[in-house]
Amino acid sequence: MSAEKLIELKNCTMDFPGVRALDHVDFTLISGECHGLVGENGAGKSTLSKCIIGDNHMTEGELFVLGKKISIPNYSVRESQKLGIAIVHQEFQLMNDLSGLENIFLGRYETKGVFVDWKALEKRGNEIMEFLECDIDLSLPVKRLRTAEKQIVQLAKAILDNPKVLILDELTAVLQERDIKNIFRIINLLKAKGMGIIYISHRLDEIFQCCDSYTVLCDGKYINSGLVKDIDKNELIKMIIGRELKNVYPPKETNFGETILEVRNLTAPKAFKNISFDVKAGEVVGIAGLLGAGKTELLHAIMGNHKIESGQIIYKGKEVHIKNPREAVKLGFGIVPDERRMLGLNMQFDIKDNTTLPSIDNFTKHRIFIDHEKAAKAAFDENEKLNLKYTSLWDSVKKLSGGNQQKIVVAKWMLRNCDVFLLDEPTRGIDIGAKFEIYTLIHDLAEQGKAVVLVSPELDELIGLCNRVYIMFEGNMMGMVQGKDINQETIITNLLGEK
Amino acid sequence: MSGFDEKNKRFRGGFKSFFSEWMILFLFIFLVIICCICSPKFRTTNNIMNVLRQASFISIIAMGEFFVILTGNMDMSITSTIGMTSIFFSGFVVNSGMPMWLAIVIVFAISTLMGAVNGILTVYGKVPSFISTLVVMNIMKGIYFIYSKGLPISGLPDSFNFFGAGYVGFIPFPVILMILVGVILYFLTQHTPLGRSFYAIGGNMEAAKLSGVNVKFVGVLAFVICAWLSSLGALGLTAKTLSGNVMIGENLLFDVMTIVVLGGTSLAGGRGKIVGVIIGALFLQVISNIMVLLSINTYWQWVVKGIILIIVVVIDSNTKRD
Repeated sequence: MSAEKLIELKNCTMDFPGVRALDHVDFTLISGECHGLVGENGAGKSTLSKCIIGDNHMTEGELFVLGKKISIPNYSVRESQKLGIAIVHQEFQLMNDLSGLENIFLGRYETKGVFVDWKALEKRGNEIMEFLECDIDLSLPVKRLRTAEKQIVQLAKAILDNPKVLILDELTAVLQERDIKNIFRIINLLKAKGMGIIYISHRLDEIFQCCDSYTVLCDGKYINSGLVKDIDKNELIKMIIGRELKNVYPPKETNFGETILEVRNLTAPKAFKNISFDVKAGEVVGIAGLLGAGKTELLHAIMGNHKIESGQIIYKGKEVHIKNPREAVKLGFGIVPDERRMLGLNMQFDIKDNTTLPSIDNFTKHRIFIDHEKAAKAAFDENEKLNLKYTSLWDSVKKLSGGNQQKIVVAKWMLRNCDVFLLDEPTRGIDIGAKFEIYTLIHDLAEQGKAVVLVSPELDELIGLCNRVYIMFEGNMMGMVQGKDINQETIITNLLGEK
Repeated sequence: MSGFDEKNKRFRGGFKSFFSEWMILFLFIFLVIICCICSPKFRTTNNIMNVLRQASFISIIAMGEFFVILTGNMDMSITSTIGMTSIFFSGFVVNSGMPMWLAIVIVFAISTLMGAVNGILTVYGKVPSFISTLVVMNIMKGIYFIYSKGLPISGLPDSFNFFGAGYVGFIPFPVILMILVGVILYFLTQHTPLGRSFYAIGGNMEAAKLSGVNVKFVGVLAFVICAWLSSLGALGLTAKTLSGNVMIGENLLFDVMTIVVLGGTSLAGGRGKIVGVIIGALFLQVISNIMVLLSINTYWQWVVKGIILIIVVVIDSNTKRD
């Protein structure tokens, strides 16, 4: 089979308001290869795949699909599907209450007259399962399937119309080792059919296990591409990070105070059980775990925003019963949630109102009226400390870049003078420069004697910032590593539940 | 310090951003100028006072609905709150011989209860507000129809007429009441932490919750404030005719919604101004008034108001604000 160029992207630039997500990137995919697209969070991998499927219209550059030049303004997801490009997203895009079969054929029913021909669908569904060599009961509603099975259903849906190009966006992020092996097996099957696969993943080992070629993006810029067999892991890491690891992280704080927060045997049904850990003043404690390990739920449980069944939370030596986030905030807890647009910021508010939201009671005249001048001044001072880039306090936070938005979420808790900072993936989707500033910020918090709990999917971050790292797996605490033991291997073995 | 002054500047976009924020005010001024040109009768003091008086109670009711919409919900039950207030107040005073102050206290207690039920069903029970308030509306409607058998209750003391139609100097009392309520609510919404939390909830419920805002209390309070102001408006409307009427609130919901949206309140919640609502009420009243003065069939008002509402909502839903 001669290799044919399926996708060719030249000089692709993608501008979003305030951010250049892609900066003159080249990318080529040939038939029968699995092409790994790698880079850090916010490097532009997802943006690139969205440009290819027509979800984003790139600002500059040319796209060729199967050798044909695409007119960008008229390009759309529908159009790309017609050309034979399919994508499987990391997030589940399945209708939970419909059967697996119906999910696969959604919008593409075979009909007999006006009726759905269920028998024909069933037959085709079974054929696909046979081809994938998977044994999944397609008659069950999707919500009753295992995570890995749901991913297979998503895959089946994507390959239904025999696409020429298949994009797998972080497909394995939520899967365990043996399910990942199964995905690799399927990828090989599809490659043999001449399909070109774009494989997006954070896990570098996977790139070496199943990809033929690679393209590295960093900070929206094209770094390099080539054949996987020509490089080793260290070279790849260097390309991805763009600098030596040790320059990225500030030194760790070593002077700890009293234990500020202690969690004992905390259990929440369906999320986590028997979780215990503690944080001292001036300490940064990391929590590692895959998606679905219960890390986010744990932070929300401490904030009183997730029901707990049993267990104790001890704050400054006293047991506390936090019923809702309001009580948690009063005690001195602050949370920087993972979904900054959904949970962290009020996108309709301006910068000063977002910054002062939790502490507005501190800026009143006669305890009734807001002292707007004082509040604005405080918001200004706090944002100045964080080196926020903005033009006016009265501007909506919508205009800011992700990194600057995140700084405001941190600033609002600093203004409130919290003692415990619960940070849930604080660097998600922000560029490398802003990341570095967030790292410095975390270090500053520790230096000021705050207790910091840091949840992150990026091991490097945890290794670089934390004094101790706790590891969760499917709702259980697998262990804790500290000092020199904080390294990739120890964490990963715990992370995957292979203790 | 100069850095702070630099960053604390508002309306950096100059007149353009000021204009887009106060669009309704400019439209209103434009409308008034057009009306003055079209109809000599319009610009008489008498007529202008008339417009203000007619706008006053509906604007008070709309200011109540404003709070509910601000928090991202919708209160369909105001028509029943208004009917309930009118019927029970008149019934208690005329049929049961209660003193007026006591009747007012009881009526407000009932409307507090209605607002609380609306709020609790919506906020705690997680029922979509459209449904919860529709249910409360129908139940309450049934109750006051049973009480009054659907008949009007007339015979309120003449002195009560002052509340709906009296004058202080040459200014109608309802106008003074509207301004008073407007000023109080302006300070509540713009200058108190509680007022700001209505905006915080409407803008992003989850973020507000995680920031320590008492989202449930404030969510319910919005419905209660709406019920109070509906009752206040209803008392005024009742005072005008000195009789309780089951149909008094029937056609008001549409006008109230139009006013709130016209005043720049986002239907998605989190954005709007009390002053905008008052201007919205005046805007709508001027339109009714000019159509009467120009002897246009009153049914055309429904057509015109409908068109205005849909234009405003289409604009609201399609503009990206910054």
